[in-house]
Amino acid sequence: MALNTTKNIKWVIAFLVPTILLFLFMYAFSLIILFGSSFTDWTLGMKVSFTGLRNYLELFTDNEDFLKSVFNTVVWIGLQATVHVTIGVTVALILARREFYWKFVRTVYMIPNIISSAALGMMFLCFLNPDFGALNSIIRLAGQKDFSQNWLMDYKTSFFTVTMMWLPFAAVVTILVLAELAAIPESIFESARVDGATELGINLHISLPMLRNIIGTCAILAGTSMLQKLDMILMTTGGGPGNRTMNLPIFIYQNALKDNNFGLANAAGVTLILIGIVTVWIISRAFRMGHSNT
Amino acid sequence: MNKIMAVSTGQISQQKDRNITIPLDSSRPFTQVFEPCKKNATIDRYFSFFAGMEADMLETSSYRTPSMHERGMLTMKNRITRKAILLGLALFMTVSAIGCGTQAVTTSTGAEAGKTEQSAAAKTEAPAAEKSEAAAPKEPVKITYPSYRVGVQVSSQTERTLLKEFAEKFGSEVEVVVEELPSDTAYTDKLKILVASNELPDLIDGKNGMLDLAVKSGQAVDLTDYLNADPEYKAEIGDAALNANLRNGKPYAVSMGRQLVGYFYNKELFAKAGIKPAETWDEFMTNCEKLKTAGIVPLSLMTGENAWTTNLLLASIVGTSGDAGNAFMNKQFPASYETPEMIDGLKKIQAMLKNYTTSDALGGLYANAANNFMQGKTAMIANGPWMTPDFANPEKSLPGFDKMVGVSAYPGSGMFNSYEIGYIICSKDKEHADAAFKFLKYKTGIHAQQLALESDGIFPLTDKVPISEELKQTNPLVAETASVGLKAKYNYMFFDVISQANVIDTFAKLYPELAFEKITAEEMVVKLTEAAARNKE
Repeated sequence: MALNTTKNIKWVIAFLVPTILLFLFMYAFSLIILFGSSFTDWTLGMKVSFTGLRNYLELFTDNEDFLKSVFNTVVWIGLQATVHVTIGVTVALILARREFYWKFVRTVYMIPNIISSAALGMMFLCFLNPDFGALNSIIRLAGQKDFSQNWLMDYKTSFFTVTMMWLPFAAVVTILVLAELAAIPESIFESARVDGATELGINLHISLPMLRNIIGTCAILAGTSMLQKLDMILMTTGGGPGNRTMNLPIFIYQNALKDNNFGLANAAGVTLILIGIVTVWIISRAFRMGHSNT
Repeated sequence: MNKIMAVSTGQISQQKDRNITIPLDSSRPFTQVFEPCKKNATIDRYFSFFAGMEADMLETSSYRTPSMHERGMLTMKNRITRKAILLGLALFMTVSAIGCGTQAVTTSTGAEAGKTEQSAAAKTEAPAAEKSEAAAPKEPVKITYPSYRVGVQVSSQTERTLLKEFAEKFGSEVEVVVEELPSDTAYTDKLKILVASNELPDLIDGKNGMLDLAVKSGQAVDLTDYLNADPEYKAEIGDAALNANLRNGKPYAVSMGRQLVGYFYNKELFAKAGIKPAETWDEFMTNCEKLKTAGIVPLSLMTGENAWTTNLLLASIVGTSGDAGNAFMNKQFPASYETPEMIDGLKKIQAMLKNYTTSDALGGLYANAANNFMQGKTAMIANGPWMTPDFANPEKSLPGFDKMVGVSAYPGSGMFNSYEIGYIICSKDKEHADAAFKFLKYKTGIHAQQLALESDGIFPLTDKVPISEELKQTNPLVAETASVGLKAKYNYMFFDVISQANVIDTFAKLYPELAFEKITAEEMVVKLTEAAARNKE
């Protein structure tokens, strides 16, 4: 018995050490540098000097772009954790009826998620081009002869257009919810039907409550994915027009790699991490995750 | 939920119950607990462990349930595991710390050596060079060279030719390791990371602010001695080109070409509107209006990327506005953009963006602007002669398009005349710097200049490379650009040369705001000044 235990420990170590090392050097180390350097004046090619809270003061008191970025990031997290997840769950509930089309729709719906997002950005850029883009051409064909809308660069439409590049494509949510739905025993639905419950009633009073944990997980996944949304925006608007579609990753990218101001960018990075933590905390609370259903 | 689980996972729950019923006594060693059922002990443990775990997961309660704690076995196990993890961690931390330590020492000595050698480059015999000569077997020195002139980039063919020729001639001495970075952005982003980690490659292009970063971070090698040691090559570059991009009064970069840039216009569309290239900017605006009335979009503008074609027009308006404006466009890194010439120029650009360009100009890319012109959709595009090969390319342009295009100086007789910043050596030791210089010399010498002129329309640095009659026949637009350029009254440089990289991004960011009248020209220059101020010295 004692022999067995030591054997296990070896395995425990073998499995834990790579992860712990990876965590230490890839994340913990970077996080410490990130956090530390956010209190310094660190411009590329120059000496690093400690400046206390100056970066944070600059960000929160007179940096319009930063405040707009935080605002946009938070709005996008909110939309993603609510609207996006709702769309995904609704599709899952429809597909769960196993009508003749369900496998086809599930596959087609998944396609946008398996294309690299940089390529997706390029596709949207062409699709939405005001001159030769498909969207404007279709509207022109439909009768509006002189129609020309610069979807991505017009102040009126840019935020909406950028949001629509990811908001409706909730296939990951759908897949996860479908899997969880399949795990609910059919007998429950059967007994509900025997008792005369409608489909809507079953969805509202049986399926949704039982899916609470997975929906919460999806909300966290979808919400936090907005903390790292860079490539699609970079490929299409670059945060423009002005700072209309700028989010924190774009702001950090521009400050670090365009202005060479690593100190300021890292202060924004710390803010981004804090927003992420708060997001996860709020969503877990909202869905009472980790509690049983009774 | 619990009830449902009981239905669906009945078996597991049962096993869990059985597990709990095993009598536990923490005072007894846990081996004894299993004594009565020794034969099945292993299997039992296996089941109980997993069953417990799974049931717990399904209940979604945390692992630290009392039932788990009651099982002394696991607590014991935990304690041992924890000790083991700590021990293992400590061991690995020590090992890795030692590893890191040695590595750090090596790198820093390497860097130190590099620095001392750089400063001592004047002295003919550096220790590293001696050592390398002593180590007799002649392996070619490997130098790293990142390049954005790859794939379908306009100068990629010339680049490939030069690399191939160099490998044939000097391959036994120097091996050039090329890292392909498609697009300017990819190139600059990568190099900026390498600046921060003090690992710049042996030879880099100094554009987009890289020259200043390389010099400031102390990685660029002063080329004074290399150039003085080779007067023939120095003459091929010429003083004008060398002096155009000094830093701290020293040449760190060798230019590879001169840009003469006017603008191209579509002769057929001009004839249709009954106009000729404008002499003044007022006439230019009137021409635009006439083209528009004739149903032709006048200008190919774009504000995405570096807002290239738009900024060329702005620079020309400012550069031809008189002595003050011309001086502004010839001085690097202006501290303030708040000049009357800039404000006037931006007002004109605002009118052009609003009335005289394509619907995809805002946020558009260079490819969009070029395509619009080459497909005959727009009448004018501001761009340089490197574009001319595309005019004859049936895949990109209308058939016979090269015959339709004329080139002109900007209104007010202005023309860009700007030396490329060129290549910088950032080697860590003299051996590599020497090798990199050999490649640099090949890449910028008279032969390379000739090749660049003939295939890319990039003008040579001095008149040592003549514009041949043959070239006038094969590419008349290039020859025409040269003759127009020599007559121009005002010469000036690109914003991409006189402004810092982040100011260029600010241009691109603010043009849509200007076009939508969210900001005025007066407000825009203030924001440009602010962007310039963010580059701390």
